[in-house]
Amino acid sequence: MGDRVLAFEAIGQDFPAPGQRTNIRVLDGINFEVDRGKFVAVIGPSGCGKSTLLQMAAGLLMPTRGAVRHRGRKVSTINTEVGFVPQQAQLFPWKTLAENVELPLLLRGVAADERRERVANAIGSVGLEGFEQHFPSQLSGGMQKRGSIARTLVYRPDIILMDEPFGALDAQTRMVMQSDLQTLSMEAGATIVFVTHDITEAVLLADHVVVLSQRPSRLLANIPIDLPRPRNTFEPFRNLGFEAAYDAVWTEFRSQIDTGHVH
Amino acid sequence: MTESKPISDIAYDASEGDTTSRRRLSAYAAKALQWLLKLVPGIALLVFWQWASGRLIKEIYVSKPTAVAQRLYELFASGEIYPHLWTTGQELVFGYVIGVAGGVIGGYTLGRSLRLARIFEPYVMAFYGVPKIALAPLFIIWFGIGMGSKIALASIMVFFLVFYNVFAGVRSVDRELVNLTLVMGANQRQLTYHVFLPAAAPFVMLGMRLAIPYSVIGVIVGEFTSSAQGLGLFIHEASSTYDPAGVFAGIVILLGFVTIANFLAGRLERQLLRWRSLSGTGPIDI
Repeated sequence: MGDRVLAFEAIGQDFPAPGQRTNIRVLDGINFEVDRGKFVAVIGPSGCGKSTLLQMAAGLLMPTRGAVRHRGRKVSTINTEVGFVPQQAQLFPWKTLAENVELPLLLRGVAADERRERVANAIGSVGLEGFEQHFPSQLSGGMQKRGSIARTLVYRPDIILMDEPFGALDAQTRMVMQSDLQTLSMEAGATIVFVTHDITEAVLLADHVVVLSQRPSRLLANIPIDLPRPRNTFEPFRNLGFEAAYDAVWTEFRSQIDTGHVH
Repeated sequence: MTESKPISDIAYDASEGDTTSRRRLSAYAAKALQWLLKLVPGIALLVFWQWASGRLIKEIYVSKPTAVAQRLYELFASGEIYPHLWTTGQELVFGYVIGVAGGVIGGYTLGRSLRLARIFEPYVMAFYGVPKIALAPLFIIWFGIGMGSKIALASIMVFFLVFYNVFAGVRSVDRELVNLTLVMGANQRQLTYHVFLPAAAPFVMLGMRLAIPYSVIGVIVGEFTSSAQGLGLFIHEASSTYDPAGVFAGIVILLGFVTIANFLAGRLERQLLRWRSLSGTGPIDI
């Protein structure tokens, strides 16, 4: 295949521990790659440093050891070629939905005509037509999340990094959002790194599931998920082969939960 | 009422026009009643003052509303008050504007730079603790008995209030939001314009509102201490010649200043923070 977009190479990360002289080792020798157009889910117990990996890919944090390479180039400053969808929607409360979605284009100096067209498309693709002039506080949690995704899609980033984006949503909204995300990513051929702690979500959405261990995190497994698409996100068990795929991930993951003291 | 309505239902049906206008009329009536209720305590106080003056307390101590009104009329009719008004008005505006500008710039700079904040915060903190009123005599020596000393006193009082609010506001900006904007491709200037300034705006407004009465205190104390013209001087002279009506007339004028300033600040706030006032409601039916 060879079409490698993102590579995590022997990533190690230490954080200073409050009140102690030694550092806490959070990540230890993480290696995995993300190919173009692939959906990679990263799963691991709480506090294992999953989100830290995304911050490194975005250039917001430099790893203590190892390097992140984006198309062969080492990430050493803010990486503006990625898109980041955080856990909370983080729309700008002082901007309307349309202004929020427009911002990345504005920052990148895209011409006004093109901006208008792409904003309309992005808002349409997440199903928020008619809410352009609403402020985030006037939108529901799910709608804010859609806005956040539209704001990322609008500038067509090379990779989309998603940090437990659906964690804060209610169960029904989450299923709908999972389904929509699958459709959107298939249509756009987007490359996505998706951090979650929900095994079902990881198996349903991803082409590869990367399983991390507890702190200090090592890579336990990188499991390919070969279920046909589109997958049914509303009734996971209806997908042919879902049980086997879930089992494969769960087998790796269970040890981390059984022995888990830290949550 | 509006919250339960579907969002698409902003425009009213033609057939609903009649009930709508009736509803609007009753809304006006309710508003008028509200205003009336608001006025009741004020009127009661004035009536009590009028009645008590000369009965419970000697008029020479407290004057009475009709005398104050009479005095106000004379002051404006004879034009005696205008030079004082003009001087104090200028001092207030300049002192306030300089203080707010300094506070916003200083608070923003220190809020953005952790390094500068570490160096300067203890100093600002120490000066904040100094009772600024105590500086009045010193300021008279430095800036003379003209407007300069009053402007300096007012602006320094305003400065600290605005400074601390803006500083806290800039500090409270969500780090994740900043990172997100950087990843979207913002440079420092864009970050300031799109994230830090709007995020700090509610704090700037709060500081500006709190600072209004303080600018008045600064100016009046300055004029009390030493001046050639101004409302503070007028009030001071009235009180030293046993003229309580004059004192109250001066205070009423100051009240007018503060009310106008508050009104203007409220207008500005609604303009700048429109996104805040809309929170939680469904359709926008303004």
